[in-house]
Amino acid sequence: MTQGYWVILRTEIFSLFISPATYVSTFYFLALLGVGFRFFIESFTGTNWILPPLSSLSLGLLFGAPALIPFLTMRTIAEERRLGTLETLMTAPVNAVSIIAGKWSASYLFYLMICCGAYAYPLLVCIIFPEQAKSLGFNQLEHWIGGFTFLMSFGASFCAIGIFSSSITRNQMVAGMLSFSLITLYLAVMAFSYGEPSQTDQFTSYEDLFAMLGGSLYRGLDKIQFFALGVLHIPTILHQLIVVFFFLSLATLQIEKIRH
Amino acid sequence: MSTEPKPLPIIEVLNLKKRYGLIQALKGISFSVGKGEIIGFLGPNGAGKSTTLKILSGLIPADSGEAKVCGVDLAEEEGEVRNHIGFLPENNPLPEELRVIEYLKFRAMLKGLRGSRKRDRIRIALDICDLERKVSERKIGNLSKGYKQRVGIADALLTEPRLVILDEPTIGLDPRQSAVTRKMMERLRGDVTFLLSSHILSEVEACCDRMIILSHGQIVAEGTLNQLQKEFINRTIFEVVALTNRMSLQKSVREIDETCELLQDEPVDVSGKKRFIFSTEKGEFVAEAILRYLVKIPDLRVFEFQIERPDLETIFLRATKKNWEENDHLGKKRSGFKKINQLI
Repeated sequence: MTQGYWVILRTEIFSLFISPATYVSTFYFLALLGVGFRFFIESFTGTNWILPPLSSLSLGLLFGAPALIPFLTMRTIAEERRLGTLETLMTAPVNAVSIIAGKWSASYLFYLMICCGAYAYPLLVCIIFPEQAKSLGFNQLEHWIGGFTFLMSFGASFCAIGIFSSSITRNQMVAGMLSFSLITLYLAVMAFSYGEPSQTDQFTSYEDLFAMLGGSLYRGLDKIQFFALGVLHIPTILHQLIVVFFFLSLATLQIEKIRH
Repeated sequence: MSTEPKPLPIIEVLNLKKRYGLIQALKGISFSVGKGEIIGFLGPNGAGKSTTLKILSGLIPADSGEAKVCGVDLAEEEGEVRNHIGFLPENNPLPEELRVIEYLKFRAMLKGLRGSRKRDRIRIALDICDLERKVSERKIGNLSKGYKQRVGIADALLTEPRLVILDEPTIGLDPRQSAVTRKMMERLRGDVTFLLSSHILSEVEACCDRMIILSHGQIVAEGTLNQLQKEFINRTIFEVVALTNRMSLQKSVREIDETCELLQDEPVDVSGKKRFIFSTEKGEFVAEAILRYLVKIPDLRVFEFQIERPDLETIFLRATKKNWEENDHLGKKRSGFKKINQLI
């Protein structure tokens, strides 16, 4: 059944590459990100930004994801359901897990390619203006690795949310709007959660309980502080993996439900 | 004396049941299909044909009962069966943006074909389905319905399957395109087992070795056309074209078979020839005995004699009628019961 995974992954990447919507959204996304990044590093000395300037790129990509991810995921299953080709796909020796995993991997790889495209901006700065790049800290490899790992872990969960949204409707526009809403909500929960996580296993109030249950979701976006400095915050990565597993499982169950 | 072991059937179904919510789609059907047979799966809409085909192709599970396809037990290895069969689903949905050759390559890879075997099998499938090179380079969305069906059938044949399940393969096709499908089945007859669901009875009659008729989730008839004719049509209809009058012919016929009824008489031409249609309960032998007797009568000239065999449509209507009446009766009973309950 793993053969099905690789074939689906290849076909999905191919279909992303031939889709005009993907190109248009990627172009505008990278162009806006490039302009924003340029203005940010030009005015960096005048801001009170305490993190390395490279982290602005990670945050830009993260907050742009609700607009970008739907373009990569909304078609995947919704369109197959609309055309009825999902049933045809299931007639081959391939299971629902391979289908979902293949489609998720394709959109995730494409998302990582866009991230690589975004990281080409600081790389260009390093090549063309090495002195300025050094003064901005672009020569610190751990900043690059940390930032990219942050994007990799969050991108994985965003793509899983997108795939899930696409699996529950036949209309790709509805799937797109749903995945935009869910990713925005997810970001908002992480951005606006407040307080400090409980440091002990014992809790005395409901707030402590929520803090404990919330785990790394609690003030999740603040964890960029670790990644920006090159520290890989394992609870955040595990948390995103759980989100990936959760939403991909829901999407697989949805496919099984349609099949039965 | 050596006794060869009997080959295992390709499909073995025993007491298969499936329910969708309140609707019992299959009420415990049992049948088996041998290697190389072409089986027509018939039944009115909602009879459970597509459900059975989906269960047999491992797409959906049955609620209870046993089903083995190509030796694979569907209850244990539901997905495994898809390695041995080709399945053309109803309406045959295809990705419209892909070219025929791209789609077949994709399907071949999904089915585990690689390298030269993949190329060879695609070429053979295209050849069997009469999809010439020019067509294989076109986008599926730009093809006619007939060609799309052929692409679906080519996909079903990619892995040299032992069983091909075709759910309504000729629905909406013109007679020429339907003939291509029949030709394809004829070409593979004996090597591949076909399970064909269709509403086009003439087509099933023309190409199937055996028929299974389903109604309300039950098998109401099963067998070859001859067997079904014997089972469901208990009267033999024969027609005689003769130069005689109604009274004398009927009198002569009754001398052999008293129960024989004259159903119809009509003039054939101005010379006085008439076509007489009779019906007897005593079978074809009596009809033939009547002919032998009539030709010996000196004043009677018989020009034509023909025993009419009922077509599949008549058998289908007879087979499903009883079941419909039973279900209708049960429905009425239930609604009556409901009304009493409401009154209480």
